[in-house]
Amino acid sequence: MSMVIPKQWRGGSLRFVSVPGIVLLVSAPGFAATYLTVEQAQQVIFPGQNFTAVALILSEENQKALETQYGLPVHSVKQKIWRTEQGGFFIIDKVIGKHELITYAVGINPDGSIRQVEVMDYREAYGDAIRQKRWRRQFIGKTAASSLELDADIKNISGATLSCRHVTEGVKRIMSLYELVLKK
Amino acid sequence: MNLCLKNKIRRCRPLLGTYVEVAVEHDDSGQAQAAVNAAFAAVERVHKLMSFYDPESEISRLNCLAAQQDVVVSVETYHVLQRAKELYERTQGIFDITVAAELLERGVLPKPAFFKKQKDYYGRTKDIVLLPDRSVRFLQPLQIDLGGIAKGFAVDQAIEVLKQNGMDNGCVNAGGDMRCFGDEEQPVLVRHLLAPDQFLPLPALKDAALATSANFYEYEEKDPLLCAQIHGQTRKPLLAPLSVSVRAQSCLVADALTKIVFALKKGSAAVLSEFGAAAFIVYPDDKILCYDGKLLRKGKLG
Repeated sequence: MSMVIPKQWRGGSLRFVSVPGIVLLVSAPGFAATYLTVEQAQQVIFPGQNFTAVALILSEENQKALETQYGLPVHSVKQKIWRTEQGGFFIIDKVIGKHELITYAVGINPDGSIRQVEVMDYREAYGDAIRQKRWRRQFIGKTAASSLELDADIKNISGATLSCRHVTEGVKRIMSLYELVLKK
Repeated sequence: MNLCLKNKIRRCRPLLGTYVEVAVEHDDSGQAQAAVNAAFAAVERVHKLMSFYDPESEISRLNCLAAQQDVVVSVETYHVLQRAKELYERTQGIFDITVAAELLERGVLPKPAFFKKQKDYYGRTKDIVLLPDRSVRFLQPLQIDLGGIAKGFAVDQAIEVLKQNGMDNGCVNAGGDMRCFGDEEQPVLVRHLLAPDQFLPLPALKDAALATSANFYEYEEKDPLLCAQIHGQTRKPLLAPLSVSVRAQSCLVADALTKIVFALKKGSAAVLSEFGAAAFIVYPDDKILCYDGKLLRKGKLG
């Protein structure tokens, strides 16, 4: 990382240091963070329990019911579903936002309440629309932008707050799916 | 032979309307996992108490009832209201949690059933009375939204929990509002205002908090009515495209001060100095300003 962060910016001084004439930009077109594997997510949400995979095939009728009854489009019926020995469910889903792809896991208690939601994987991608905007062009050939994979050193990103709306909507969809086909 | 290999744990959950990330380092992975769970529980509690969106939250109860009667709240909500009043006074009302009425009128926040018109809620933060038995009363009708301060408070609470659980190093990041503790310096990047896949390196954080408010790159496409930054005195939206980061000792203060810097820009130097904070502003023309009260430095990208 020493190539990216100017040396004088390091250190824990209480005062912001002088900004050099040229500020290096870090380009990270594919910012990504992986938090949990499937097994880790299972153990985080249902510690010590055993899991049995559930094969779910949604009939056309059920899919329609999901869409009309709950007003939610069935974005994917390929959710991965496991049942715990105590009658809970562990479900993995993916949601796609404007610039992000998120894999997350939902744990449902045997009584049908939401136990926990964990993000497993977060990836960002900015498409051509953003890249080709006029303001974007001004950077080309002008900024000392260095491309790098955001590795283990760079974990902390600040900026305008990102909304978790897509995951919240995804969880609603999963709960509808539970009500309709998984609940006994 | 490495006998004390540190376990690094990093998890992320959707809370406070954003993604909350908790990262720790500790010798014992079980203890680390338990600490992370406890930290998330602390964030969840703040979410439950202070969410404007949840009709069951203490804030919703206050908004519905406190103009008519005294309402008892939790230690946490009482504390955040105390801090909000302090910030209101020290910033001559620029930081004002009662801008919720404007946000409701503009459709930034969802209108509760009892809400009719913005002008029915003319009260300000000074009209919130904190009574000694943890009860709260509004002297004028008003609406509170802790969106500008509660995220920072939640991060502070989570950090306290991680420390109590004996973690050596830790970092909590709630959608860009973050705080770290421990011996290690944490490198921090801030998203570029106009090019969201570009990041500017900020000074590394060590035992400190950093929060950012920005009218993000999307300002071009955004409806100005949906601007969430409102000047507490003028009650006007702050539409200038800016990215403002503030570093302070606590995340609550960092979070709140981003709104002050947003409103006052260079004029915020005295407030920053009073709180021992530093600000880092990025303008869309790539001009950068850094200051901590006394010092004012300029730079430019490219």
